[in-house]
Amino acid sequence: MMALGNLNVDTITTSTSGGVLGAGNASIMKNRLINGACVIDQRYAGSAASSSYSGYVIDRWSVAQVGTTGKIIAQQNAGSVTPPIGFTNYLGITSQSSYTVGTNEFYSIVQTIEGYNIADLGWGTANAKTITVSFWVQSSLTGTFGGCLNNGGSRSYPFTYTISSANTWEQKSVTIAGDTSGTWGTTTGIGVQIWFNLGCGSTYSGTAGAWASANKVAPTGAVSVVGTSGATFYLTGVQFEIGSSATGFEYRIYGTELANCQRYYWKKAGQYPSANTTVGAGMLYSANDARACLANPVPMRIAPAITFSGSGFGFERPNTFLGTIGSPAAANYSPEASLIYSGSGTSSGTAGDATFWYITDNTSYIAVNSEL
Amino acid sequence: MNFNQADKVQEYSLNGVPVGILVVNGNDRTCIPLVAGNTDYQAYLKWVAEGNTPLPAEE
Repeated sequence: MMALGNLNVDTITTSTSGGVLGAGNASIMKNRLINGACVIDQRYAGSAASSSYSGYVIDRWSVAQVGTTGKIIAQQNAGSVTPPIGFTNYLGITSQSSYTVGTNEFYSIVQTIEGYNIADLGWGTANAKTITVSFWVQSSLTGTFGGCLNNGGSRSYPFTYTISSANTWEQKSVTIAGDTSGTWGTTTGIGVQIWFNLGCGSTYSGTAGAWASANKVAPTGAVSVVGTSGATFYLTGVQFEIGSSATGFEYRIYGTELANCQRYYWKKAGQYPSANTTVGAGMLYSANDARACLANPVPMRIAPAITFSGSGFGFERPNTFLGTIGSPAAANYSPEASLIYSGSGTSSGTAGDATFWYITDNTSYIAVNSEL
Repeated sequence: MNFNQADKVQEYSLNGVPVGILVVNGNDRTCIPLVAGNTDYQAYLKWVAEGNTPLPAEE
């Protein structure tokens, strides 16, 4: 008879070269980051963001250009290098100049984890859990690079890591004892931010390896990617997990990870001429006002902002093809659905007619945003 | 959201009830809910706190 008992392990190495199973009982929701493998790119679909852009690029990952913009370009799979084994995508940064970062400036990649997804860490209490951040990184530069954990402004932990060989993927891990002080969000607001530094002035740089009651996003003295024109910085396989050692990356089913991303942002793009894209069903509130329900694919973090981009919006009503929708707008926002309506438009319909909203070209889209 | 590059920032109502902030930026019309936890709404409040004024509200 087999004896029963407890087995406590951090990692289980498999017979497959380089294979490591999940840690302990954290086989579900191990990686608190979303899109750590950089697969999902709803906004840009692989295209580059403008160099003047500061905000979300691939899903859940944003770039910050706090100071003078135009210093970096972010793009999924920039430079078209071969990703590390086990990955097909990465987030790439290319420096646009040799820039000396000002005192109050910083350039970074950041993901903000929602409070609900780190609530069990117990940060801000005596029972704060240790975490490990692991990632694959490649740069045209070598030396001591840096990153930081932050609670959104009042607690931070700068850390360093070394890139030894230029233009070569290297896997790094950083283990950090949980913060026993400060206030850490545990609901729909900011939980933990993880920053990867690309250049930082003294105001936002701090001592590596210690928690501080300060708003820092990088360690002092780290390599500045924006300081070298044409320098590259590529990142993928990013994992934030409980425990004192890095375990194998938690791959997720594509549909699951897409839904995880859509809690914060989703986009419905026009597909014409293959078809008008159905947006939602509703009714004519008046001859020129088609109102419809815009249902979110998953409950969003919070009532979202809705962007109507382009002019290709129309509606169908009984026995008639499309009226155009001018000045589209939204109301009655909620995490589950919102009301969309036509501020003006062309129609000879009758109030109460059933209707469908459509996107009628292949350049217009609706973007729904509740990012942190 | 960058309010400083917007063509128009305006509060708007539906059926007489204020429902959001409309930001027109080129071909983009963004409707922002009046919800404290929405980061676009937070950016709007910051923009107002910096001394900017939206256009008069309209239906």
